[in-house]
Amino acid sequence: MNTPTFFTLAFTASLSGFCALGLAMDRHFEDVFGRGREPGRWRRWLQLAGTVLLCVSLAASLRAAGSSIGWVLWFGVLTAAALIVVAFLSYAPRRTPWLGLVSALAALGGLPFTFVS
Amino acid sequence: MKEGFRQSMAWLHTWSGLLVGWVLFLVFAAGTAAYFRDEITLWMKPELHALPHAPVAQAQAAERAVQFLQQRGADSPRWFISMPTGREPLVGVLWTKPAPPAGAAPAGERPRRARFENASLDPATGDTAHAPRATRGGDFFYRLHFDLHYMPAIWARWIVGFSAMFMLVAIVSGIVTHKRIFKDFFTFRGKKGQRSWLDAHNVTAVLALPYHLMITYTGLITLMFLYMPWGPQAAYKDRGGEQAFFAEVFPGGGRDRFQAAGEKAPLAPIAPMLAQASAHWGGAAAGRITVHHPNDANAVVAITRAEGPRLSYDQPSMQFNGATGALIATYGDVPQAAAETRGVLYGLHVGRFANPLLRALFFLSGLAGCVMVATGLLLWAVKERQKYAKVLRKGGRIGFGLRLVDGLNLGAVAGLPAAMAAFFWANRLLPVGLAERAAAEIRWFFIVWGALAVLALLRPTLRMWQAQLGLGALLFMLLPVLNAFTTTHSHLGATLRHGPGAVAGLDLVAIALGLGLASAVWFVERKRRKTLALKHAAKAPAPRTPGEPEALSQGLATSGHQP
Repeated sequence: MNTPTFFTLAFTASLSGFCALGLAMDRHFEDVFGRGREPGRWRRWLQLAGTVLLCVSLAASLRAAGSSIGWVLWFGVLTAAALIVVAFLSYAPRRTPWLGLVSALAALGGLPFTFVS
Repeated sequence: MKEGFRQSMAWLHTWSGLLVGWVLFLVFAAGTAAYFRDEITLWMKPELHALPHAPVAQAQAAERAVQFLQQRGADSPRWFISMPTGREPLVGVLWTKPAPPAGAAPAGERPRRARFENASLDPATGDTAHAPRATRGGDFFYRLHFDLHYMPAIWARWIVGFSAMFMLVAIVSGIVTHKRIFKDFFTFRGKKGQRSWLDAHNVTAVLALPYHLMITYTGLITLMFLYMPWGPQAAYKDRGGEQAFFAEVFPGGGRDRFQAAGEKAPLAPIAPMLAQASAHWGGAAAGRITVHHPNDANAVVAITRAEGPRLSYDQPSMQFNGATGALIATYGDVPQAAAETRGVLYGLHVGRFANPLLRALFFLSGLAGCVMVATGLLLWAVKERQKYAKVLRKGGRIGFGLRLVDGLNLGAVAGLPAAMAAFFWANRLLPVGLAERAAAEIRWFFIVWGALAVLALLRPTLRMWQAQLGLGALLFMLLPVLNAFTTTHSHLGATLRHGPGAVAGLDLVAIALGLGLASAVWFVERKRRKTLALKHAAKAPAPRTPGEPEALSQGLATSGHQP
């Protein structure tokens, strides 16, 4: 396992994590799935998934750049991912779940390597 | 009471931000560019791009540099050698010119500070055959970031520090004012006038908030001994003053304690010292070599470790006896807690530890900072304009303050990118042999910026926004084209295939920045058409739908001549 892989994992995990956290919010859920729809019981699961994915992103960042610079990397990755999610929610809301799904799958694929090796 | 506190924080946020906003925009833009200081310098020296990039052993590069200095500056009191890195392929040498004998200076003229000569050497051969064109390169943006220009550096640092303090106040009061940080975390609502400006301001501020807080606070830390010298002054009053303090906190630094013996002695070979230092640091390379009083019996060779993937800015160093080659002392292997704290905060600010990816993330956060400052400035104008909605509808004019802010906003936000692009154009277009060439490039930056700022203050209209943003967009997007016409090995066709990657990267970032500015032009055009349509609608006796009068008053600066 090398640094670029950990970096990709950190990035995709935070991207999907922010997608999940965004979709857990009423306003963005409406934008994506239509007026009047509410996340309902999905909200808890989305929030949980988002939190877990952001934690995975942190773990991958620390693995990618060490325990001090890893934190700096994590904040940078979070900022970049969040800006992308904002752009999707504003200009292509219906594609946001797909963005989240694809990046979550990519992150899950790389997940085993974060803790093993 | 709670509401009152929040309102007072909103007031503080508005005015602390506006007062220094234009300086902050310059500081943010120059600082963001300075993350790629070495890459910009390399791009601006196209003579170096075709050089072979085979890494040269440190010992060989250092020996070649010493040979060169023995020829050119054997009687100099001090040599400085900076070793090549992955980002800077050449060996930089700098040497102090020997001071004229006492009494030689013309009467009445105070002895000026030491004069330096410098050269860039090919690490493999040690000659200057590939001498690149004279340019300040990325160092210009680095210095502009805190020394500004055309004024004494100390004044500039006080101005920048004052602005940074206001920035810190604006950030903290902004967090208090915002109150919906998590609810509006992902919210950007476009095409909604003031609402959209506020959303853009919030998103760029909140999503990069750790960066903004870090960069502002650590920025003040970098110059803390200038801004707050009183602690050491008081504590070391009877023990040698600030100089003693610095010698204690940063051991190994300082140059006044090295005294020449006046006896000639040949300089010991440098390679064994390098090998010993590198072994001591677990194989890490040397970054800087300083030789005090070369060829003297009291010569001292100081070697500082190269920057690596460590947060702290301060690097350990070793000193050797220049005549015998024996180790005198090692410094900074176990840094003191306070010095290390400052070193880490300093290191976080300048980001020298970052690899290209992390550097790109710093750059992105820096751009977010530029957008945050710009939208904050525009937001003030948008809000202020609403107060004039009635006056404007009657054909009146806006106040002087708003007009001034409109002009300054335009000159800063739209003018500065164009001026920065012009700096790169000057690098390629000015003749290589021009006298004072490096200064001429900088002059072109200020000529373009000055002209655009004057135009902006004279006519702060939407048309002027389009013209200046469009100029910046064109200059940035065409930069790779200019590069292709004026160089042989530095255009994208060559650099994408054979490198250097940094040069290709700068061209690509220039295209991206140009596209960003072009989309801003398109955005202003939409705004302008809407404003025009509304004006026509207002003239015609058509029934007015609610919301229109507000729409008239929203958006960018339109202080120009109202028909």
